[in-house]
Formats: sequence, C-alpha cells, structure tokens
Amino acid sequence: MAARRALKAVLIDLSGTLHIEDTAVPGAQEALSRLRQASVAVKFVTNTTKECKRNLLERLQGLNFDLQEREIFTSLSAARRLLEQKQHRPLLLVDDRALEDFTGMDTSDPNAVVVGLAPDRFDYQTLNAAFRLILDGAPLIAIHKARYYKRKDGLALGPGPFVTGLEYAADCKATVVGKPEETFFTQALSELGCSPDEAVMIGDDARDDVGGAQNAGMLGILVRTGKYRAGDESKINPPPYLTCDSFPDAVEHILTNLL
Amino acid sequence: MADSSWTDSAKSLKGVILDMCGVLYDSGEGGGTPIAGSVEAVKKLKASDLQLRFCTNETQATREKFVAKLQRMGFDICVSEVFSPAPAAVAILKERGLRPHLLVYDGVVPEFDSVDKTNPNCVVIGDAADKFSYQNLNEAFRVLIGLEKPVLFSLGKGRYYKETDGLKLDVGVYMKALEYACDVEAEVIGKPSSVFFQSVLNDMGIQPQEALMIGDDLVNDVGGAQHCKMKGVQVRTGKYRPSDERHPTVTADGTVDNLAQAVDMILSRRGC
Repeated sequence: MAARRALKAVLIDLSGTLHIEDTAVPGAQEALSRLRQASVAVKFVTNTTKECKRNLLERLQGLNFDLQEREIFTSLSAARRLLEQKQHRPLLLVDDRALEDFTGMDTSDPNAVVVGLAPDRFDYQTLNAAFRLILDGAPLIAIHKARYYKRKDGLALGPGPFVTGLEYAADCKATVVGKPEETFFTQALSELGCSPDEAVMIGDDARDDVGGAQNAGMLGILVRTGKYRAGDESKINPPPYLTCDSFPDAVEHILTNLL
Repeated sequence: MADSSWTDSAKSLKGVILDMCGVLYDSGEGGGTPIAGSVEAVKKLKASDLQLRFCTNETQATREKFVAKLQRMGFDICVSEVFSPAPAAVAILKERGLRPHLLVYDGVVPEFDSVDKTNPNCVVIGDAADKFSYQNLNEAFRVLIGLEKPVLFSLGKGRYYKETDGLKLDVGVYMKALEYACDVEAEVIGKPSSVFFQSVLNDMGIQPQEALMIGDDLVNDVGGAQHCKMKGVQVRTGKYRPSDERHPTVTADGTVDNLAQAVDMILSRRGC
C-alpha cells in the first residue's frame, strides 16, 4: 500500500450498496454526507441497461440521498463515450427508458450497433438489420452480457444471449462496456481527473464491483448488503482490499485510514 | 479452367450426395428458380451407375412439400432420396423417449406430428425466421432452464443465408443464444454432423471413401463431408464467396463453377 497515492476519489455502486429496492441501507445517507465533507470526489457507478440517469437520480433523491445527475456514470454513459470517441452513429437496441441517455446523438445511417436489455427490439427483423451492419464492419457494443434476469413473471433472457448470437453470426467479438470492464472504471475516473491508484470502489458485487475495480488498479471494498452472499470475498483473486458490513462502515474506514 | 485432380477418384466412386439450396436452385420469391444446368445434371447422374442422394438443412417445410417444389422446377427427385434434419430429429426423440418443445417454422411442424409434445423435457430449434421473436425464444429458454439437465437440439447450425431481399440470420445464431443463456451445448442434427452424413451413407450401403458431397457451403457441406472421410467439392453458386477458396481451416477437394460442370467432369472421367 505504501506506493499508493493519496486518495482523491470514491466510486460508489447504487443498487445493493446505497439502497435495496425502495429502502435505503441504514445510515447510508448520513455516511454519504460525511464523505462529501472530506476532500474527496464522489461518483456513482452502476450497470444499467434500461434506466436512464434521470430515473436513477429520482429514485435516490426520493430516498433522501444527496447527489446530482452529473455524478452518475452508468454502462449507458460508457457506451455513449465510446461512440463519441469513435464518432460512430449507433443503431440502438436499448430499452425506451434508456434512450434518453443517448439524446442528441446522430443515429441516421448507423455504423455501430449497441445492445442493451431491450426485449421489444430483439425481434427477427431488427436483429437481421443489426447483423447486416456488423457484417459490413460496424462494431458491436454490448452494455453488458448478462445471461438472464428475473422479472415478475419469471426468468427472462438478458442481452448476453443476443450479443453472443450476433457474435457468432458475424464472426466478431463484442466490446463490453459495463462493469467489470477496466475501461468502465477508467472512464468514470477520467471525468474526475484522477487515476486508478488514487481511487477506491465500494460495491456489493465481488466480481463486477470489487474485482473489476481492483483489476483496473483501484482499491475495492466489498459490502455485505444487497446481492452479497457469505463467502463472496473468497471468490475473487486478489481478495477485496476490505470487506465490511455496509456502506457506512466502508465510509468510516476511508475517513479514518485512507485520507 | 477448373482444377480436376479431385476427379482422380471418380472411377472408385459409388455414390454422390448433393446439397440442394444453392446447388440445385436459388431460393427466393415464389419458391426459387433452378440453377442453369442443374436439372439436366441430376438427370445425367440418375442415368449413370452412381447412387444419388440429396442432403439439406432445409427446415422450413416438410420433405413432401419441399420435394414437390423441386419437382415443379423440373427435378427428377423423390422423397425417399432426400435427407433433412426434421425426420432425423424425430428418430432421435423417439429413440431417447424425449418430448420436445418446438421452436421451428410452422411449415415443418407436421414432421413432428407423431411425437409426444406434452410436458416437454427438451427443446428443438430450427430455422424459425420471423418466429424467432423474443417471446418465443424466451419460452424455449424457460423450458430449458427449468430442466435439471437441459437438452437442446438444433436443426443445423448455419450462421446466415441469402434471400432475394438480403442476408438472414440462420438457426445457429439462436442456438448460440440459448447455449449461452443456459450454459449448455446443443446437439446439432443435420449438416455438418457426422451422424447425419453417416445415415445417408448407410442408406446407400457404401463407405465414405466411395462417396462425394457437392455443396455451396464450404464449412457445413464440404468440411462436414471431409470430416466423415468423404470427398467434398464446392460449387461457385448459392452462398459461395471467393474468400471460401482461402478459408483458414477448410479446403475443398475441388471447386467448380456449378453442378453441371462437376457432373460432366465426374462422368467423363468414368468414361460415361
């Protein structure tokens, strides 16, 4: 740890770390306020494929968290940044609610394909259109590759199977932009103007939050809330920098030991 | 001029297997059109002492309807000479006592009439085209994920095919999607599966070294046949692309302009 530079930024996962569904993790609001009083930048990072930043913001503000829209960085933000860097015009296979985060982008005559969780767009015609673009050289960008997700009526296919199918059809490899990809974390940090060795990530997902952040050169703190299951800390190598009961404990550790 | 070294074995040849779409005819509006010279080429093969079978991954219609379409185009062909994945799948399902959930094109459903489909314990997917909706794929996924050990059969595993209005995703894409979703490996029925080619050879009662496969799909027709120790020749019709002749893993024993040229080369070499 001696080689690490002074801590400048804290990246915080949302669902499972600050709140579980419609309930805040006890003490999380005050802990966030205390963190903000320290000289450290804060960013909220999450994998989402169907909720725009405004939706996320409204939910968190409704739970009395103090944050602003520009502090949220999602897998959709990461996709947009990638498209803008390469000046691509995307065909967006994303949920209607996520489209808002792509407002203002040129989508005419597309030369890139973005796949999120979009059951309404995974029909044969639309996938054929996406396939033809990819075969003509358009890059395939995946918000993430989850196999399936749970909804009220049971399990349902996630974006991963469709991304995998398109990869097979066009004999290509998708660029995945969400957590745990290294570029996701470095992009989020670049907006704060700091490097991975000046940052720590707090999250409830050992692989996607903690493992991904540590692979990118950050410290990772695993919290035992949300999707955490006993033994998760031993599922990644190297293990988490720290595992603690919940977000307020993680903040306490940062304030006491890292600043 | 076509390289003719592949015809060296023509004298010891006892049977020929032909792919159909892209070799006999091009698909498209109104069922498609015969490829120039192919009707005559099939006639010549039938008049020779060679055995002839047809082998297709077509899964959008029953064999009866499919063969009737080819007969209308002028081909001398009958149902018993045609091998397609659906009847092969039915045989496997019955042999293993499996009850399928079907995700296939409406036109091929009657092939499965004799199979018990209640309380499914496996999934069969074919080229379902427009029926590959999220909803339908999700239903197949739920059957699989609900099984203790998911069993998935795929009628072929093609990536895409060409229709008059452009390239279309083939069954292999959806097979890969379900494989990834359920973390299973599908059992492929049809080309390029060795079991499928072997069933055609068994029907002719000949050894693989005595048989030649002619197709337009380098990997599934030619590569699949070669994997069974048959010779494989590719035609420059159908889905043929010039890059096939520089493929990294599959090299055809011969490449010819079309079926008519292949048949003429074989028969003249045999001294017919």
